[in-house]
Amino acid sequence: MKNELLHGTLEVMILKTLSWGRMHGYGIGRWIMEQGGEALRIEEGSLYPALYRLEHKGLIDAEWGLSEKNRKAKYYRLTAKGRRVLASNVTTWTDFATAVGRVLASANAPARA
Amino acid sequence: MMTPQWRRYLRFWRPDVRADVDDEFAFHMQERVDDLMARGMDENAARQEALRLFGDMTGARRECVEEALQLETEMRRLEVLDVLKQDAVYALRLMRAHPTFTAAIMLTLALGIGATTAVFSVVNAVLLRPLPYRDADRIVLLAETFRGGRGSASGGHFNDWTTQSRSLETTSIWQPRTINLTEGEPERLRAARVTPSFFNVLYVRPALGRYFLPEENADSRVTVLSHPLWVTRFSADSSILGRQVRLSGEPHTVVGVAPASFTMTEFDERLWTPFAIAAAQTTNYGAHMFTVFGKLKAGATIEQAQADLATITEGIRQLVPDEMNERGVQVVAYRELLVDTIDTQLWVLLGAVTFVLLIGCGNVISLLLARATSRRKEIAIRGALGGVRARLVRQLLTESLLMAIAGGLAGMVVATLGIRFLVGLGPGGVPRLDDAGLSWEVLGFATAATLLCGIVFGLVPAFRATRVDLQSELRDGGRGSRGVIRDRVRGTLIVAEVAVALVLLVSAGLLLRSAYLLQRVELGFDPGNMTMMRVALPAVRYDSADAVQTGLARILEQVRAVPGVQVAAAGTRVPMWGGSIDIGVRVDGRPFNPKDLLIGHVRLVTDQYFETIGIPITRGRSLQPGDLVAGAPSVIVVNETFARRTFGSDDPIGKRISGWTRDTLPEWREIVGVSGDVRAFGREVESPPEIYMPMTQPPDGAWQSYNRSMTFVARTRPGFPVATSMRAALRNVDAELAAYDVQTMENVLAQSTAVRRFNTMLLSALGLTGLLLAAIGIYGVIAFFVSQRTHEIGVRMALGASSRSVVGLVVRHAAVLALIGIVAGGVAAWWATTALTGMLFEIDARDPIAFVLGAAVLLGVALGAAWIPARRASRVPPITALTESL
Repeated sequence: MKNELLHGTLEVMILKTLSWGRMHGYGIGRWIMEQGGEALRIEEGSLYPALYRLEHKGLIDAEWGLSEKNRKAKYYRLTAKGRRVLASNVTTWTDFATAVGRVLASANAPARA
Repeated sequence: MMTPQWRRYLRFWRPDVRADVDDEFAFHMQERVDDLMARGMDENAARQEALRLFGDMTGARRECVEEALQLETEMRRLEVLDVLKQDAVYALRLMRAHPTFTAAIMLTLALGIGATTAVFSVVNAVLLRPLPYRDADRIVLLAETFRGGRGSASGGHFNDWTTQSRSLETTSIWQPRTINLTEGEPERLRAARVTPSFFNVLYVRPALGRYFLPEENADSRVTVLSHPLWVTRFSADSSILGRQVRLSGEPHTVVGVAPASFTMTEFDERLWTPFAIAAAQTTNYGAHMFTVFGKLKAGATIEQAQADLATITEGIRQLVPDEMNERGVQVVAYRELLVDTIDTQLWVLLGAVTFVLLIGCGNVISLLLARATSRRKEIAIRGALGGVRARLVRQLLTESLLMAIAGGLAGMVVATLGIRFLVGLGPGGVPRLDDAGLSWEVLGFATAATLLCGIVFGLVPAFRATRVDLQSELRDGGRGSRGVIRDRVRGTLIVAEVAVALVLLVSAGLLLRSAYLLQRVELGFDPGNMTMMRVALPAVRYDSADAVQTGLARILEQVRAVPGVQVAAAGTRVPMWGGSIDIGVRVDGRPFNPKDLLIGHVRLVTDQYFETIGIPITRGRSLQPGDLVAGAPSVIVVNETFARRTFGSDDPIGKRISGWTRDTLPEWREIVGVSGDVRAFGREVESPPEIYMPMTQPPDGAWQSYNRSMTFVARTRPGFPVATSMRAALRNVDAELAAYDVQTMENVLAQSTAVRRFNTMLLSALGLTGLLLAAIGIYGVIAFFVSQRTHEIGVRMALGASSRSVVGLVVRHAAVLALIGIVAGGVAAWWATTALTGMLFEIDARDPIAFVLGAAVLLGVALGAAWIPARRASRVPPITALTESL
């Protein structure tokens, strides 16, 4: 899939990922690709600008900690504002997807003008 | 909450964003490599694959760093604002909780900063601002000197200086004159005749039109108006250019208007006409009638010009040695000319008002110290809860800055009023005084003063308060310890305030004594009920000496007929009012030595002159109407000083003297009377030697020198205003004549002392204010000391000490401090009052009486201020004192 399409939705997906709990950048990328499969394969590097943008907007928080292998890692978590934004985005997306699906699955032909 | 994030940055003073991003990417790479190796790749292949999978690392890094830096800046800004807002809110709450306290501080600051700003505004307008002219620091006055005094230059000097000088770029001549402007109501105006180069030397872009062209002269009949004249007389009419105005009967065309910023000299001329120096005058070294302004070449200094012109003047001395006795040349910067003695007076004023501000600040610090002491407990608690000392200091600093700013803003109102007061009451003749206002520089000064006060007010009590020993404070329940008596800061405050107040008092005392001594000087004439009117006859209709004399006689006749006038006369100069012509004198029967000239100041007068002005005749007779008849013998009256200097103790009556001119024979005149000395130049200046000649016997060329003018003097019945009638009388003689300057002698006297009175009044007011503030300060601090020692006082009284000894204890303490302050102040005043030397009359700047008097007053006031709380303390019953806890 083209990266341009993913750009906006990447941020939403990050938010969703973090809704499960705090995670470092590598883990977020791995989870998204596990869930979405090959269709959602992205350049791993593009994850980080998205994370920093989200932090700037105040939707996520960052904190340094130690990973499972005792390495220094930056952990992210969702803020209250981020949670609200995620919820509203999910609603928008599902509504949108439902509407598109209805159009594509429709059996009614358009009325001839 | 963002707090945990920021602890991370304790590593560096500034968080290293780039390193953090690199760390994060490094972690990602490590994890990816581990995963790939777990799937069977070897390390190198894994690394390459990981890099490939990552994508554009440089681009990603750049984007991340940018975002992170922006975020960091925003966060930091928010935190600072947040902290400041907290402090400010707390400070405001505190201020509102103690309204009297806050009001006292703000009032003190408002008055102190306001007054200081007002004076600074005047200093700025008059002294500090650059002059409006182009290359103003190169403008100079070129003057001849005679016996050390500065005077006008001759045509020959002007010519030689101009042609031979190497340090001057341009020279120009400026000559004062008065003219009649007949536009409707005839008005006598001060004007100046200038060479066209005058406006090159003093150049500001004209408001309208142009200045004079190099070829224009008196025949061109053009004129340039001054801005005030254009506004008041011509209603700022923008079509004024090309209009014709009648100046002393001759039509002139207006070619330009000078801008409002064109600062006049003291003469305050209203318009200019061009002229060119006549060829004959360029070789005349004897008639000194030109004021010369010049501009130095770029890079030349005044010293160079002085040396340059001195050389040229030496050349002149070789050429005409007889003309050059005791004569020299002086080059003076124009700026110096304008401010003359005003600058000392203004700086002294600024110093005095700053002193008052300092005393006020001392009181404010004292108040804040007291409050900080009473907040010891609160500060201790905050300290115990982990408040860093710096944070507490910042809190206290915010409080004091807020109060200072509030006081400073109120001070601007005071400053505006103060400026209006100073400008309105300020003596005339101070250049550019009207420009004083709240300009940017003045506001900057006020802001700086306010902030400085705020910071000092905050730091002093803050550092004292936060040095508090937490444990002992909390344990004691807030009571002060005994060591407070040796409170050095408060003691220093008293000493400092007393010292500064002493300097103020001594200065005021010196000026007051000086003014008193001056008042006691006899004027030598009777200034009451005297009205004076200056009239100048235009050359057009009064060209010969006869015509002038006849015209003036007719005017005098009319003036004498004005109802209310008891006696009237006229003279070319009246005491205290106007410049003089002086001549060298030779005595009949004595060998003449041009190198050692006797000087006399000459007046042409009518009969009854002495009676009108009230000058006594001590020997011989006064001038009679018979002396003024055509063909009468040449007689004169001289004054005591002249008689003494010329004849010693010999009787001058019957002796003959003559004015000295090089080429003509002496005209002998017989002395028929001696008049009393008059302080013609003001009380401060010794009587000059004077010669009174009948107006019908003028020396050659006298009427030109006097500009065909005379002052008419009328002594009137008390309470009878004659000014209007005198003007009308003038018009009866010639409708086109106008009087300029109609004044009473009392007005003139008042004006001549205006500057001195102004200074004395202001400095006395400031001295008094300083004394009052110091007294309040002493009262406050002693009251505080007493409150701290209440316990001790209780013990003493319980053990049998009388209330008088208790009072004595406290007052002695105050006296010691006051005496130290007086000594310190005395030393400071010793050094400082030399600045006043130019302003004093007949007393030394270190006059011991003023010092002793000032010290005595201050000591008395200090002891009085200390006595009140001391007495109150001694009245408290011992049992209360013993059990009192603060």
